[in-house]
Amino acid sequence: MMVRTVALVALAFAVSATAARAADSRHPDWPCAQAKVPEISLAAVWAGPELGDAENKWKDDGRISALVSKLAARKTPLDEAEKAVKEFLASSSADKTANAKLLFAGLFDTLNAQRSQVMSGLERVSRKQREAADKIREETIQLQALQDAKPRDDAKVDAMSNQLIWETRIFEDRRKVVRFVCEVPTTIDQRLFALGRVIQQEME
Amino acid sequence: MFGAASLVALALAATPAHAFVAYVSNEKSNTVSVIDTDSWTVTKTIKVGQRPRGIEFTRDGKFVMVAVGDDDTIQLIDANKQTVVDTLPSGPDPELFTQDAAGKTLYVANENDNTVTVIDLEKRARLGDIQVGVEPEGMTISPDGKTLINTSETTNMAHFIDTASRQIVANVLVDARPRFAEYKHDASELWVSSEIGGSVSIVDPGKHAVIGKVTFEIPGLRKEAIQPVGIGMTKDDKTAFVALGPANRIAVVDTATRKVTKYLLVGQRVWHMAFTPDEKYLLTTNGVSNDVSVIDVAAQKVIKSIQVGELPWGITIAPGIAPGIAR
Repeated sequence: MMVRTVALVALAFAVSATAARAADSRHPDWPCAQAKVPEISLAAVWAGPELGDAENKWKDDGRISALVSKLAARKTPLDEAEKAVKEFLASSSADKTANAKLLFAGLFDTLNAQRSQVMSGLERVSRKQREAADKIREETIQLQALQDAKPRDDAKVDAMSNQLIWETRIFEDRRKVVRFVCEVPTTIDQRLFALGRVIQQEME
Repeated sequence: MFGAASLVALALAATPAHAFVAYVSNEKSNTVSVIDTDSWTVTKTIKVGQRPRGIEFTRDGKFVMVAVGDDDTIQLIDANKQTVVDTLPSGPDPELFTQDAAGKTLYVANENDNTVTVIDLEKRARLGDIQVGVEPEGMTISPDGKTLINTSETTNMAHFIDTASRQIVANVLVDARPRFAEYKHDASELWVSSEIGGSVSIVDPGKHAVIGKVTFEIPGLRKEAIQPVGIGMTKDDKTAFVALGPANRIAVVDTATRKVTKYLLVGQRVWHMAFTPDEKYLLTTNGVSNDVSVIDVAAQKVIKSIQVGELPWGITIAPGIAPGIAR
């Protein structure tokens, strides 16, 4: 009875894993319902002046790069980050425009990189999940063969069904995590846009 | 003397001359946010049905109608009580609707069964259905109330429907995935936005022919990121505002030259918009940044953003001064 339930669950999984695959044929490993946008383009988040050499120079400025890491960290609440931007720009009277450009260039680089990392991680997990689904599918067939075998080796049937229970559980857990992590690229987009907007407002 | 004058000035400044109220449908959080346009804050969040999108005040300003697609109905919010008090009988998956100038008849696009439902607003009863193209989407009515426009996502057409006979009298082919249609106030032109085509087609409503196109170009942005949806037209018909979706911008268009004069960076995935009745401000819904941007219409500048619920979609502003606020 127990064994049969496991087998059914495992089969249901294998099927749903296949169905979830490749919603967008250009990105076959992308596991999220959200459309994959590989990179944020600068123009989508910035209508301020050309960044020019700020794109490379922000790293050389210790104050800027420290602030960038703090603002880019997801553990810093967004409203706190926005406040920090305002304070920093308010205190840099003469070089306000230059500092604003450096700060935004740093955020753009850092958050885009962070986002790419999360997305490639998602795709890696997605490939692993596909392998796991294949394995579960195969082992389900093996288990059925073991159950039907005469004479039946109960020890082997138990071992195999236990293994399947574990594999299925890991598969399910990972799937839940993936669904949660799928929200992260959007959260990063939102942070970059919100901080960029504050920087542009402060420049005016 | 001097003191008295400044007191008067103070008193005048303190009286909010133009407090309006805006209602925003939040598609993902299943709520409607109420914004006071004097303080620019959310004063109330109303729980509604599932997947609220199209939203509009009744002409008398007493109710707000909101299409809750996943509940297959339109809910009525009492603007005084700020709660849902009744429902209207739409077809399955209503998305957007429009009403005639008198506020007596409502036309609802039902995305799932290719029909437009006609509703008597006084009796709150269904009058009938009109068969339209596949996946009806945008809805608007001519200023004289004689022609209903419905755009179809799949057939890429704007259907002209005679409201008296409820028959389609003309079909005009526009660019891919028409999302929204808006008449000029003088009824001389109909503007139809195409989300995938990335353009706005200008249609002569008499000849039923496309007579011009507005196109958009933003340096550094891929063409696919420019997805025109909502359109707002000033009362003098001189300026149009077009929401460009994931381009995160509103295009300001000179209607005489049909050229973009300015792009305003608002919020992420800007979708629909509404003017305050005095036309001083234009409010836009930004679906990904979960906020509403406030544009100063005369200055053509974004002056504020207000956080609302998740995935803000539609917006409507009370036709007059808000009940209960600064009379």
